[in-house]
Amino acid sequence: MRSIPRTSPRRNTRLAIVGIASLVSITCVALTITGCPKRPDGPRYQEAGNSTPRSGGTFVFHHESNVRTLEPHIAYDELSGMAVRLVFDGLLDYDHDAQMIPSIAVAMPTVSNEGKTFQFRLRDDVRFHPMPGLPEGRPIVAEDVNWSMHRLLSKDVGSPGYPFFKSIVGAEAYHRGEAANVTGIRVIDTHTIAFDLMEADQTFLNAMAMTFAYPVPKENYEHWGDEVKYHPVGTGPFVFEEWERGVQISFTRNRRYRDSNRANPDRMIFQENLSRGVAALRFQNGGLDSIHRQNTADFLLFKQSEKWAPYRLEYPRVSTFGIGMNCEIAPFDNVHIRRAVAHAIDRAGWSRARSGRLAAATQILPPQLAGYDENLEHAQRYDLELAREEMRLAGHPDGLDEEIVTWVTEGDVGRIYGELFQQDMEKIGLNIRVRQVSFATYLAETGKPRQVQAFFTGWNMDFPDPSNFIDILFHSRSIHPENSENRAFYRNPEVDRLLDEGRAEVDRERRLSLYRQANNIIAHDAPWAFTYYPMTMEVWQPYVKNYRPHPIWSEDYRDVWLDLPRRRADARFLGTRFPNAVPAWAPFGGVRSLAGRSARGAARGTAR
Amino acid sequence: MDPRAWRRFKKNKGALFGAVLVIFVTLLGALGPLVAPHDPNEQSRDVLLRDDGTPLGPTWDRAEGEPAEGHLLGGDTVGRDELSRLLHGGRVSMQVAYFATAIAVFLGLFVGVSSGYFGGAYDFAVMRLVDVVLSIPFLLIAITIQRVVDTPALWALFVLLGFLSWTTLARVTRSKTLQVRELEYVQAARALGMSEARVLLRHVLPNVLGPAIVIGTTLVAQMIIVESAMSYLGLGVQPPNASWGSMLREGQEMMGSANRLMVFPAVLIVMTVFGFNLMGEGLRDAFDPKD
Repeated sequence: MRSIPRTSPRRNTRLAIVGIASLVSITCVALTITGCPKRPDGPRYQEAGNSTPRSGGTFVFHHESNVRTLEPHIAYDELSGMAVRLVFDGLLDYDHDAQMIPSIAVAMPTVSNEGKTFQFRLRDDVRFHPMPGLPEGRPIVAEDVNWSMHRLLSKDVGSPGYPFFKSIVGAEAYHRGEAANVTGIRVIDTHTIAFDLMEADQTFLNAMAMTFAYPVPKENYEHWGDEVKYHPVGTGPFVFEEWERGVQISFTRNRRYRDSNRANPDRMIFQENLSRGVAALRFQNGGLDSIHRQNTADFLLFKQSEKWAPYRLEYPRVSTFGIGMNCEIAPFDNVHIRRAVAHAIDRAGWSRARSGRLAAATQILPPQLAGYDENLEHAQRYDLELAREEMRLAGHPDGLDEEIVTWVTEGDVGRIYGELFQQDMEKIGLNIRVRQVSFATYLAETGKPRQVQAFFTGWNMDFPDPSNFIDILFHSRSIHPENSENRAFYRNPEVDRLLDEGRAEVDRERRLSLYRQANNIIAHDAPWAFTYYPMTMEVWQPYVKNYRPHPIWSEDYRDVWLDLPRRRADARFLGTRFPNAVPAWAPFGGVRSLAGRSARGAARGTAR
Repeated sequence: MDPRAWRRFKKNKGALFGAVLVIFVTLLGALGPLVAPHDPNEQSRDVLLRDDGTPLGPTWDRAEGEPAEGHLLGGDTVGRDELSRLLHGGRVSMQVAYFATAIAVFLGLFVGVSSGYFGGAYDFAVMRLVDVVLSIPFLLIAITIQRVVDTPALWALFVLLGFLSWTTLARVTRSKTLQVRELEYVQAARALGMSEARVLLRHVLPNVLGPAIVIGTTLVAQMIIVESAMSYLGLGVQPPNASWGSMLREGQEMMGSANRLMVFPAVLIVMTVFGFNLMGEGLRDAFDPKD
């Protein structure tokens, strides 16, 4: 616009003709595209046909968001977890049947003192990866577990995992800085460590299997200081290689892993910030080895393709999504309005608009979890008459005039859910304004009291126990001036009591019945309008072997091996950055910049 | 204004074609909502979404068992009538483009003419301000302000766009005014004792109007693009309302299985911008036939 190039009138006529021609051709091309979408159908590369597992090759996976930290004490979102679990091992782990199994521990811990003392014995063949000053790494000992747990529990670190370990004797005093040590953690010999709890806690072993409790080497932390989140060193099957921030993280196979029979790719590449559409295209081209989220068009394409059928799995994720309503501020301080919202959501219609990828949610606990009650008395269901009745009971039969601001996260998916919600609320006279905010803002503001009226929210399971959902989301203990996990600010003394009893109860049946009662009360009080349990589809390349979605960990690629066909193995450039394509000058520049603070529970609220 | 300009304009086929496009899309914006067959925000999830979740196609592309009539262009990703959304979306795009341009033209003319005519310290100060505004990365500041404002209303968008795009016009009209100011008839008018205001309105303004109209026309095209870009980024109109830019973005979700959702708004945007640019070119040649 700064200078206007001049053209003669005659040239102008010619220009116009060219212009008209191009407009016509654009329209033609456009209409052609509308008519026939054509994309490669089926995998581009097949498997080589080896039946015995073998190591080698490069496995490339992705996520649509960016990784904030690789520090297990801080990481609390699904995508950091994807990376952390490659590099680190815990004392305990879960197998593919969701059963807890020992990992660094020799066996499951011995329990004594009426369920209040747990004693772990560590394997003696587990080594930390090489780190600064220790090019060969070193064996892990009980003192490492001790040091790691102390670090996790200290206030300075600010681990979001701290609340899970509060039941250890002396943990709270240490966290407040009143004690130099946690008295309840005792190193017994080089390979034995014991934990004393204040009272029996049925979720302690679950907590010990969380990524927060993964042991880390002290030397690495002393060397790197705050930078350690970019330089993870653990005992896991893969060694961290390099992190180009916001682009990709690479890992190499741990050749000294304790299980030498293991077959794994020589290299793993984790690409960050890859949007769904782009990821699907790369995957079809053979540049990605697995995808786990698709936009609607791609979802249907993979779902309807015969050729992809053996390499995909559609399954319900253990998560619950809903609309959180702040119980402390108008209009949702009125339980009837909350109930009206819960009954006005046309869950089947939502699912239709999302290609059937949502199962209607009736309660906070998802169906796979113990405590879920199919015949829950106060289950939330779409029932417009009931919703209108609740609006009458609330004293607003014609609805409310004021706008209700509902927060959703950025992006298309957030907007779509916002629009679906708007439409449903219109039917009971609630006027919704959708506000799209960044995920960081969303987390910060919804975690403060009296800030946000309503918000889209969700919870992914950390460990298979009802307390992981109910306690964290609805216990009044989860309310804080900042970073509340109880974002609905829901308080009910009866629920608190049931949950406290449930946490300690040893008898499984009695325990579950306590959670069922709490579940029912919460569904009736409707701090959330439960909307859906998401279905997910994962697709992988034919040459990706031994991959099954894990029941606890999302996108767990630790056991994968590659049966690469020659063609794919030779491919240097597939429209994606392969390790060979990483420029030599790249290594550290990206890593040092941008010290992104880990957002608490990051990626949990993101709508699918 | 020069009466010969219109004759020259009429001879320019390209410009006329541009003008036809402009009239067409303007009418679409003005009358579209009146003729839209459905509520553009009403989701008919049962009718306009197929069982697999894809939107119902346009009438010429329907399978058996689907309603053959009604909803000419089918539905969108959540089951709203595509045609109605296009018609309503056009109004938003047009509104933003025209109002923002009006603000920009008014500001630009005022600042340009006054600073060219009066000169001196005022001129210097104003032109430095223009330099400053020109140096601001346009889309970046637009996005920032849109973020800071709690409720990004539509009027905020066009005021913002208007206030960020008057500078080119101010520069051009200033230089034109500098030129006109020294002409004999202006000097004569002043010598006869005409008031400054009268000289400005009667003798200076008509002479700078030509370039102002030309720049204004191309500005409209730019505004359409910027509005689309911002709506595409999710910073323009708020859900559930439509504009062509936001529809382009929404269609992305269905890229591959219902490309028409992206193609329809895209073709309309291209058409509009193309029309305004052609017309602008023609107008310039008509007003300023020197070469």
